[in-house]
Amino acid sequence: MIRNRLVLTLFQVALGGLFIYSGIIKVLDPLGFAQDVRDYRVVGQTLSFLAAVVLPWLEIFAGLFLASGLMKRAGAGIISALLVFFIALVAATMIRGLDVDCGCFGNLSRKAGLGLILEDAAMLYMALCVLLAPRKGPPVG
Amino acid sequence: MSRGEVRTVLRQMAAITALSVAVAALFHLPLIKRFARGEFRDAFFLAEEFPGVRMIGAMEAEDLWAGGLAVFLDARPAFLYRAGRVPGARNVPFEGGATEIADELLAALSGRTVVVYCEEEDCRTSLELAKLLHDRGLQDLRVLAGGWDEWRRAGLPEEGDR
Repeated sequence: MIRNRLVLTLFQVALGGLFIYSGIIKVLDPLGFAQDVRDYRVVGQTLSFLAAVVLPWLEIFAGLFLASGLMKRAGAGIISALLVFFIALVAATMIRGLDVDCGCFGNLSRKAGLGLILEDAAMLYMALCVLLAPRKGPPVG
Repeated sequence: MSRGEVRTVLRQMAAITALSVAVAALFHLPLIKRFARGEFRDAFFLAEEFPGVRMIGAMEAEDLWAGGLAVFLDARPAFLYRAGRVPGARNVPFEGGATEIADELLAALSGRTVVVYCEEEDCRTSLELAKLLHDRGLQDLRVLAGGWDEWRRAGLPEEGDR
């Protein structure tokens, strides 16, 4: 795990910003995102709707707290959990042979596939670096 | 991380989650009310944006078909259309994201009631096609909510290429 403070700060801002952006796009088109969730064929109409209403705001606030440094570990924790869930979901979708858009960035979404899993895994690594980084110790000397 | 730190992070995560739920409920309250009233149960689209598009069931579709009151469009790929379809339906294989509709098709559908269907309840190409036709000026579009699967399960007439 990376321990360099500057790199960790970059991770915080980049990952936080990406989740804020992703959340805002979905908040602006809740029904479009609900349909994207429904297309995964994991949950029904009601749960798809509820997920589409709540998930984007969770992304936005987790991203805000991560990027701002205020409760950055909690933000990184939520983003890590979301990414683990997304990776499992995309993997299951591939195994089931479904051809669906990932629903990650509104109209800029791509097909759920291996490339997406690798991207999510890279983001998960960044989030875990922030989550598991030791707290700053007292100044030496 | 120490046990105390883990507890703190978990508490903060719960707080962020609660905040997200509260803000989501406030921000989307009008939409949530509409869902509670029964909207969006068949499809996620705003009826006011597509006033000429309506979801229907197999019974209404059958009435329209039997009375010759509507043109049926099959939005599935050609090989599925050939295997079995609503008798008389016209195949308009539709890919998600497509934005082109042939002028000849629009002319043939102009002023008519049009019923669009795709494979089953979870497919969305029929609704996407209906929205596109609506944007191109058609006024009376019905989407068979359960698609071809619902038509077959209802035991309604079908035809296919041998």
